[in-house]
Amino acid sequence: VREHPVVVFMKGSPAQPQCGFSNAVVQILRLHGVEDYRAHDVLQDPDLRQGIKNYSNWPTIPQVYLNGEFVGGCDILLQMHQNGDLVEELKKLGIRSALLDAEKDQEKK
Amino acid sequence: LSPLSLSRSPSPMRGPLLAAAGGAMGGPGGPLARAIRHKLTVALQPTHLEVRDDSPRHGGPPGAETHFGVLVVSGRFAGLAPLQRHRLVHEALRDELAGPLHALQIIARTP
Repeated sequence: VREHPVVVFMKGSPAQPQCGFSNAVVQILRLHGVEDYRAHDVLQDPDLRQGIKNYSNWPTIPQVYLNGEFVGGCDILLQMHQNGDLVEELKKLGIRSALLDAEKDQEKK
Repeated sequence: LSPLSLSRSPSPMRGPLLAAAGGAMGGPGGPLARAIRHKLTVALQPTHLEVRDDSPRHGGPPGAETHFGVLVVSGRFAGLAPLQRHRLVHEALRDELAGPLHALQIIARTP
């Protein structure tokens, strides 16, 4: 989980999510301009699927890890996106959210 | 805040999260829905609780009871971050999540 600042365990791949909740995670990250992250498809590996649930003590997929730390599933990511926490967390990782640039463009106009 | 207004408050990306979906909200639901409702009531003493079977929206037949969404309003969540609130819900539903329940959407609010 520490291989990259942003790691996602999901069903399917970012190009082809196999479940609505996993897709939601991909879309939210995309909104913030985060396209470079590690995504693990648990459908490809049943051991991984159970292992990651044991590791985080969290029963469902998708799971999002920021800087090696478990952050939550898609509900929590959505909440963080809506209340601005996600922009802050990404900033701590040295990732500038695309939404900040979008806001700047708005202000210029 | 009356329960009715709470269930109608919109959430931008969710759309009608707790609107009746394929009639799944009508009636007490199947055995898993009742178990979920019972366990959450006992564990969290919610002031408001909604349990919805989302299985049809994930390719399952109606009544498949694999994917659920819950809205829980409980004072027990006070002072807890979203992750901790969700963990409380998972604790209450530990057996179900180890079994037939594949996915659980959670909205956890204080009254």
